[in-house]
Amino acid sequence: MSTIKTITAAELHQQLEKGEHLFILDVRNEEDFNDWKIEGKNVQFLNIPYYNFLEEDESIYIDIPSDKEVIVVCAKGGASEFIVETLESRNFKASHLEGGMLSWSQFYYPVVVKDEDVKVIQLNRPAKGCLSYMVISEGKALVVDPARHVDEYVKIAAAEGVTIEHIVDSHLHADHLTGGPELAKQTGANYYIHSSEAPNVEYIALDQTNSIQVGNTNVKVVPVETPGHTPGSVSFQIGDKYIMTGDTVFVGGLGRPDLGGKAAEWAQTLYDTVFQTISQMPDNILVLPSHYAAQDEINEQGVVAEKLGVIRNNNEIMRNGDRKSFTDAVAASANTVKPPNFEEIVSLNRGGKPVDPDKATELEIGPNRCAVHHGA
Amino acid sequence: MEFQALVDAKGLACPMPVVKAKKGIEGLETGEILLLETTDRGSLKDFQGWVKRTNHELLKVEEHEGFFRFYVKKGE
Repeated sequence: MSTIKTITAAELHQQLEKGEHLFILDVRNEEDFNDWKIEGKNVQFLNIPYYNFLEEDESIYIDIPSDKEVIVVCAKGGASEFIVETLESRNFKASHLEGGMLSWSQFYYPVVVKDEDVKVIQLNRPAKGCLSYMVISEGKALVVDPARHVDEYVKIAAAEGVTIEHIVDSHLHADHLTGGPELAKQTGANYYIHSSEAPNVEYIALDQTNSIQVGNTNVKVVPVETPGHTPGSVSFQIGDKYIMTGDTVFVGGLGRPDLGGKAAEWAQTLYDTVFQTISQMPDNILVLPSHYAAQDEINEQGVVAEKLGVIRNNNEIMRNGDRKSFTDAVAASANTVKPPNFEEIVSLNRGGKPVDPDKATELEIGPNRCAVHHGA
Repeated sequence: MEFQALVDAKGLACPMPVVKAKKGIEGLETGEILLLETTDRGSLKDFQGWVKRTNHELLKVEEHEGFFRFYVKKGE
C-alpha cells in the first residue's frame, strides 16, 4: 500500500527533540506498552491493542483525535500499518512508525559534548536510555561502552576521519549487549575491561592499566576503580574536565548494586566508592554516565551530563556520610524490577556463545533499569 | 485435542495471525474449537489479549519445533 504514510525512527526523534506536540497511538498489548514505550516531553499517549480494532466497536475511536496527525506504533511495524489503513478509511490523519519499537530500539544519534583539544561525542540510544562515548584527539579515538550495533561507531570514526584504537567497557553490562569485543575485532583496537568482571574474551585488564593515551600525548584517559554497581566497575577520567562514570553515577542518582545477587555486600562497596573516591573529585568535573532514565536528565545542549557538584547537591545520599542509612537505602532498590533477561545478557557479555541478531533484539527489548532513583 | 477449524498462519508476521484467527472463528458455532498455528512468538501475548477481549477461551498453547499451536474455544 503505497499510500500509507510512514515516519522513520530518526524522523520521529527529530520531532520529539523539537518538543513538538505529538499524539502516539500505541497498538501493542497493554503489558508491553506499560513495560516500555517511546519517551518525550510533549507526547500524548493512547494504548489500544490492534486486535481491539478487529471487533466492531465504535467506542474505541472516541479518544483518537480527528484534528491532528496520529502516529501509530507497534512492535515491528506490521500491525501499525494495518491500523493506519483502518484509521484512514475513517478519515483520521495517521502515519506509522516504520519498523515499530524494533527500529526505535536500534536508533542512535550523536551529540558533541565539547570540541576542544579533545573532542567528546556522546552517542544516545533513546529507546534504551543507553549512552556511549567517543573520545577523539589527533586522528585517534577511544570508545566507551559501545553497544552491539558496532556500525554506528565505525560510521562516526569514518565521518571524523579517525582510527578507533581503544575500546573500554566500564563494567559487565546487565541490560544490553556489549559491542566491545566485536568492535575490537573489526577495527583491530584494544579491548579493556576490569578483570573482576571475569570476562571470557581477549582483553586488557583495566586494573592493570594506569592510563590510556588517545592521540595527543596530553590526552590521557585514566581508569578509576569505582566498584559497587558491579565489583569491577570503572570510571574514566580525562583531566579535571570529564568523568565517564558508567553505571556508577548518573545525572539522576546512583547505580543499583544488586544485579549480581549480592546487594548488601555491593552496597557497602558502593558506599566506599562514593565517600572515598567520588568525594575526592572536583565539583566542576562533568559527569558523563552510560545511562539515563528520564527526559529531564538531558540538558539544553541535548547532552546527558551534569557537573558532579550539582549531582551531589541533588542527592542527599551522596552527602550524608552515614554508612548504614546509605546501604539501607541503596539495598532497598534491590526490590525494584530488574532489567529483562539480565542473567542471560550478563553471560553473553562475559563471552558466551554469540546469538543471532533476532535473538539479541529480543533479549534487549524493554527499558533500562540500572539506576537507583533517590527521592531525597 | 479435537478441533473444528484449522488456521495455518505459519510464516506470517503480526498482525496476520490474529486477523486470520478472527476470520476463522467467525465461521464456527459457540463452543467449537479453532486451532491456530503460528511461528510468531510475539503473537502469544496478543492472542491472550484478543481472546480476553472477545470472550473466547484460550484452551491450550503448545510449543512445537519452530511453531506454536493455540486452541481457542469460541465464546458467546
